[in-house]
Amino acid sequence: MKLFSNTVFRQLVLRAIRTDYLENMTGFAWLVLQPLALLAVYAFVFTTIFTSRVADPEMGGFVPYLAIAFWPWTAFSESVLRSSNCISANAALIGKVSFPSELLPLSTVTATFLMNMAGYLAVLLVLQLTGVSIHWLGAIAAIPILALLYLLACGLALFFSALQVFVRDVSQILPPLMTFWFFTTPILYSSSLVPDPFATLLKFNPMAWYVERLRDFLLLGKFEFSAMDVIIPTLTLLVFWGSLLFFRRFSGHFEDFL
Amino acid sequence: MKPLVRLQGVSKFYPRVNRPRERLRAFASLMTGNEIREGAEVLQDVSLEITKGQSFGIIGENGAGKSTLLKILTGVISPSRGTVEVNARVAALLELGAGFQPEFSGIDNVKMKAALLGMTPGELDRNLDSILAFADIGDYVYEPIKHYSSGMVVRLGFAVVAASDPELLITDEVLAVGDESFQKKCIRWIESFLERGNTLLMVSHSMYLVQKLCRQALWLHDGATREIGDVFPVTQSYLAYHEERSAAERRDRQSQRGESGIYRIADFSLSGNVAEADPLIDFGGDLTAELVLHSPDGMPPVGLFGIMRADGTPVYGIASDYDEVEPERLDENHYRYRICFSQVPLLPGSYSLRGHAMDPQGLRVCDTAEIRFSIAGESRELGIIRLPHLWNDKS
Repeated sequence: MKLFSNTVFRQLVLRAIRTDYLENMTGFAWLVLQPLALLAVYAFVFTTIFTSRVADPEMGGFVPYLAIAFWPWTAFSESVLRSSNCISANAALIGKVSFPSELLPLSTVTATFLMNMAGYLAVLLVLQLTGVSIHWLGAIAAIPILALLYLLACGLALFFSALQVFVRDVSQILPPLMTFWFFTTPILYSSSLVPDPFATLLKFNPMAWYVERLRDFLLLGKFEFSAMDVIIPTLTLLVFWGSLLFFRRFSGHFEDFL
Repeated sequence: MKPLVRLQGVSKFYPRVNRPRERLRAFASLMTGNEIREGAEVLQDVSLEITKGQSFGIIGENGAGKSTLLKILTGVISPSRGTVEVNARVAALLELGAGFQPEFSGIDNVKMKAALLGMTPGELDRNLDSILAFADIGDYVYEPIKHYSSGMVVRLGFAVVAASDPELLITDEVLAVGDESFQKKCIRWIESFLERGNTLLMVSHSMYLVQKLCRQALWLHDGATREIGDVFPVTQSYLAYHEERSAAERRDRQSQRGESGIYRIADFSLSGNVAEADPLIDFGGDLTAELVLHSPDGMPPVGLFGIMRADGTPVYGIASDYDEVEPERLDENHYRYRICFSQVPLLPGSYSLRGHAMDPQGLRVCDTAEIRFSIAGESRELGIIRLPHLWNDKS
């Protein structure tokens, strides 16, 4: 992990945290308020209007069920979206200073994850205080899951930020793609409610594995393992590795296209 | 000794990527490894070797590829062809405020720049005071860079670079924005930097600075090496090139005026034993020329001869009416003047001889022609002509 001792990387992360969160007045509050407000809207729509059922009553109702999955998803999608145009946004730096440009997407993802994870921890504490039993042993087990999610976000960030230099449309295509991914992931609903042909399809969504493992660990304290626990981490590592290769293959040509 | 920098056959090609379709095509070529065909070649086959302790100046016109070459050397861009090898701790000051973000304060940007230059936080802490002292911009360091003047940005940038203790310093034309005293400070620093056995590579349009700081020079012209070697010959031929170019512009303007005149030059040549192309005259030899003028109305036009240095500095000029010379009549409309400058005292170098057609009253120049020639030989005399002289004359 030479990356984290890299001074440039640390400077970039600090800079991203400061500009994106701390330096605008509402920044830090927004970080907690925005997902909280969204959570409240979803909770209202799905519990009061649609009266959704939660598959497992042990999970303590819809709000914790949603909250556990919602923050990691926000961290993931926000970091991929934010970093997708970070190469063109830093064109001035890339064209004039020699440094490994992969630090740009990686630092954006890291800053976003750090801030959202702080919010996640706060939410878990609030849930605990409001009477939802959080399994803190499961919380420790959730750390490697979140680390893998971070790695997946890094991989996609590397891939899309490099691609965006050549295909500018990536910035337009990515947000609806992320919305689509959000609704095809059992964040608002339980995968057990999905009828059959789609339930099989859902298994191919790696994000489904992430949110369900987090719920199992944090809300149920349930540790059951299947083949997916090998497949998805392997897939994540492959995505990261492949994206890093892709990024490095083309990073020498960024300046020509910026 | 292993060279610090070695460039071999470096070319840089920028693909044309203005429209989405061009971008996509260029990207597809990259993916498949095909060569991209549409675009602009800004560097062609440049080779360069720099050993430790050398100081290299890169000169050339705007758009000659100097900055691109520096970017390739610093690793900001990769060459399309050729190899680049740099075995040194490099610090580059490429463009005004490169790597500075305008929204951040000076001190934050110093931290970032120091990190980019490879300084650890500990090194930065130790050097921060000397950086701020060198930059000497007072409390402005706590203000965002966007409120800085361009001179202040350069001060800060140079201060960090100086503190990073590089082995190879690469600078583009940035020092020019600093004020007089800061420029002197930078030059002093660069001189002591060179005395410590370090290496410098700089781009400048100031031949004075290049000659002062560099031992070698590379003249880039249209992306290719035009001349490389010791700084004095290279800068001199670069300056001569510019002088000739501005002289040519002046001549263009003159000949445009001349075209309206009715008295024209029919023929203008050097006579005697000289080659047609690149005529060479011995130092102290005779210069003989012939000027045939066309006169539509049959009146004898006035002829004017002038000698000038290659850069256009006039040396001597004489008109036929001043010496009350009549031309030789060839036919109804043609007249010929012949002139011989015997034992020309011009010192070795490049010159040109001009012939002008003037109206019969000798008031207006109607046409101009020019022949370039060189005076052969070697001499350590200075100036343009040899003046007769006597040393320690007792008489």
